Amino acid sequence: MTAANGDALVLVDDLKVYFPIRSGLVMDRHVGDVKAVDGVSLEIERGETLGLVGESGCGKSTVGRALLRLYEPTAGRITFDGTDITHLGEGQLRPLRRRMQMIFQDPYASLNPRHSVGRIVGEPLRVHGRGGKGLGKTIRELLQTVGLPADAITRYPHEFSGGQRQRIGLARALALNPDFLVCDEPVSALDVSIQAQIVNLMEQLQEEFALTYLFIAHDLAVVRHISDRIAVMYLGQIMELSPADDLYDNPLHPYTISLLSAIPIPDPEVESRRSSILLQGDLPSPANPPAACRFHTRCPYVQPTRCRDEEPVLRPLEGHLVKCHYAEDVKAGLITPKQREAVFEPGAAEPAYEPPVV
Amino acid sequence: MSATRTPLLTVDDLHVRFGTSRGLVYAVNGISFDIAPGETLGIVGESGCGKSVTSLALLGILARNGRVTAGTAMFGGRDLLKLKDDELRSIRGREIAMIFQDPMTSLNPVLTVGKQLREPLEAHFGMDKGQADRRALELLEQVGIPGAKQRLRDYPHQFSGGMRQRVMIAIALACEPKLLIADEPTTALDVTIQAQILELLRTLVADRDTALMLITHDLGVVAGMCERVNVMYAGMFMETGTATALFAQPRHPYTLGLLQSVPRLDSGRRQKLMPIPGSPRNMLSDPSECPFAPRCRYEVEQSRQQVPPLEEIEAGHQVRCFNPVPADEWQRQRLGGAA
Amino acid sequence: MSIAELESREIQLEQPQGLWSDAWHRLRRNRGALIGFGLVSTFVLVALFAPLIAPYGPREQNLSLVADGCCPGPSAEHLFGVDQLGRDEFSRVVYGARYSLLIGLVSVAVGLSFGLVLGAVAGFFGGIIDSVIMRMMDIMLAIPGLLLAIGIVAMLGPGIWQIMIAVGVVNIPIFARLLRGAVLGQRENDFVLAARAIGVPRRTILGSHILPNAISPVIVAGTLALATAIIDVAGLGFLGLGPQDPATPEWGTMLTGTIRYLQTAPHLAIIPGIAIVISVLGFNLIGDGLREALDPKLRGRA
Repeated sequence: MTAANGDALVLVDDLKVYFPIRSGLVMDRHVGDVKAVDGVSLEIERGETLGLVGESGCGKSTVGRALLRLYEPTAGRITFDGTDITHLGEGQLRPLRRRMQMIFQDPYASLNPRHSVGRIVGEPLRVHGRGGKGLGKTIRELLQTVGLPADAITRYPHEFSGGQRQRIGLARALALNPDFLVCDEPVSALDVSIQAQIVNLMEQLQEEFALTYLFIAHDLAVVRHISDRIAVMYLGQIMELSPADDLYDNPLHPYTISLLSAIPIPDPEVESRRSSILLQGDLPSPANPPAACRFHTRCPYVQPTRCRDEEPVLRPLEGHLVKCHYAEDVKAGLITPKQREAVFEPGAAEPAYEPPVV
Repeated sequence: MSATRTPLLTVDDLHVRFGTSRGLVYAVNGISFDIAPGETLGIVGESGCGKSVTSLALLGILARNGRVTAGTAMFGGRDLLKLKDDELRSIRGREIAMIFQDPMTSLNPVLTVGKQLREPLEAHFGMDKGQADRRALELLEQVGIPGAKQRLRDYPHQFSGGMRQRVMIAIALACEPKLLIADEPTTALDVTIQAQILELLRTLVADRDTALMLITHDLGVVAGMCERVNVMYAGMFMETGTATALFAQPRHPYTLGLLQSVPRLDSGRRQKLMPIPGSPRNMLSDPSECPFAPRCRYEVEQSRQQVPPLEEIEAGHQVRCFNPVPADEWQRQRLGGAA
Repeated sequence: MSIAELESREIQLEQPQGLWSDAWHRLRRNRGALIGFGLVSTFVLVALFAPLIAPYGPREQNLSLVADGCCPGPSAEHLFGVDQLGRDEFSRVVYGARYSLLIGLVSVAVGLSFGLVLGAVAGFFGGIIDSVIMRMMDIMLAIPGLLLAIGIVAMLGPGIWQIMIAVGVVNIPIFARLLRGAVLGQRENDFVLAARAIGVPRRTILGSHILPNAISPVIVAGTLALATAIIDVAGLGFLGLGPQDPATPEWGTMLTGTIRYLQTAPHLAIIPGIAIVISVLGFNLIGDGLREALDPKLRGRA
């Protein structure tokens, strides 16, 4: 299920982002890789919201950052509006950066605590040569667009609440009138009642400014609400890509099915009637992912043939793209889910890896 | 409901304040509740509403600048809030246990898991190392940790988040407490791990007839785990009742607002989210009006003049509001599509 | 009521306050820091106005006073007594403050300027540059500070400038390490990533985003380094590696040779010692106060 009319703003082709693991006594040796993103291909159509969901270690944040070249791709190709930006130098990239921006998860870490709001929101304008006359006016307008009062200009981030800071982050991202916005868990760190405000604001802004969103989150309910299509990631790969409407009604990949059944619904009647498929064990570490089908160690529908030796292909099925050998059989009910044995990861919980240098 | 069993814990009119450099913070402003043996009570609210402070106050482990300024908490015939620290120590872990949100900081990183499991056993039951070890092994197996025997010698950093939470649960249940307080136990965990941990809690608590006080901001978690729910805002309960009643027919504008603003997997996709306007209440003053009034669509004149009392609106269902929402309002909105 | 109106009502309650002024207010309330400030101000004022405060010249000898052996203690004309050559101890201590202040400032300045550059470069660029710089710093840190200083003075020859350089060089790896760590910590912050996403040039990111946030531990360390510099310099002076002219009223040099007079004229050793202690204490108290005031955990809203 690809972009219908080929009007892709962003094209990602077999993207891989590996982080080297270094260990050693005197000088660090390259002993392995954390395969944060391991072969992701997608198209993001102009004007759409593509949701990217998954749990820790699935690589969704890394994809978002790699698209903006904040992490260097290890392999693969990224195309923005027809231009291959995978290996562009910083000088060539800078003018393109005007058109693609990012908003971050942590409202407390994404704003420089020592800069005033005016300085923060005005920085993109100054960096790209629009910092002359009328800067103040532009900043005030931006603040107003995101629902903040004009006098916030002289204030500092620590004087604002989490939700207000996210608004500041939005104002900064919108300053240059970008086409594409990567939203990295923008509401996860906010209170429930504030999340809805920000989600609504983002929808409003999308309409007003004709924005294209890549919406990255772990909360499937929020993603489903705002997205047109959703990609489900697991251990660095896309397991399923489907229209948002359809994902809940018709999940095809065993991981999607398990994920959906694990999400609690705020309704005791519904909760008591659900039968959940409990995934056992921990999420495998991206430093050492299972061979062949990444999900086979925890998959309740695993089969003795193919799952352990052959890596599935992301293929079309019923309007989705699914990366599973037996998706049809699962859908038809020919395979019943089984309780698997819990495999807990031995050793250290997280490998120490270094994201590439600034 | 809890009608037939005498409550295990009865909290009455609890008030907690903190002294900070910016003035007094009125963290808890008069809450009363009880828990019966074996019951699961959910306290749901957003950050800063005072829900965590409540549990810390009960166990006497508030920060140094926190003080209980009023109220009683009767447990086993004694008022927890009036007990001295060494009396409380015999209750903590033994009769009331607690698990926290972040297992990495609540487990001691320099002690082995086995040692941390043995600690309460040795302290409360006077077991020797051998007995305690055997019991610790049992506990690890009960919380579903494979290879438990070797795991006893491991350190917390060698476990993943989900496993550390299981260890915390094991430590908490080691002495078979009557009441388990779980403060955001799954907030830091991935969804599929969260489901495992909640299922584990559900089973263990049912098997042992332990009462569970589950504190969280997640309405979905509460819906799946709790028999009764208290909704907390600005240090007070806004609505209390059974989970079924509250979720089907919320009567308080805040509860309604929460339900309206949370996107649900099973609702129509383009159903408009109705956020609650404004920000959570500034806690630097003792409430003299309804604390939710500034953000409330249903406020009336009286809301600005005094704090509404918590009153029973139907059997077992209480609301603190001068203008409660009509009983069928939420269902009407849900079924009628976009509000 | 719209959300924007609600927000602006809440925000108006507070004055715009940068983090620096926030820290300043907290510092002012810290009693230890205030005491330290008092001590240090006294020290600085004494150093600046030495000629007005000291009743005698620091090198003025009056051998008649020690004709009967060493040494008359505190008296009306000589507040702190006189030393072996009849010089007024009080005046010498007062002028000594100048030396200690100058030496402290210069050596810390040397350490800071080189250390900060090395640390910032190592932390910001990482990779092999980082490894090379840090191994060099490790080698320097492997030798105990005072010994390293003595070694440097041994190479350069004794003298007041030489000990300043020596103490300065000893400080370089300390600041380099410190700033490198702080820079590494700040580099991963989201706002740095945001700046990169905007296209802010690298040197601007370092100067405008990373350094201002990384500088707090350095400020604290700098203040404490002043304290240790005073001690180190006094130590080197006591060992005879400092100003070669024994008439120089530098506190450490003043202590040379006073050991044999401990029984008869203890004031010769005690008084310069107390002067050192008081000034070092002052800087330490300020440093501690600064550390608390600049602590990011205490910033802004609860």
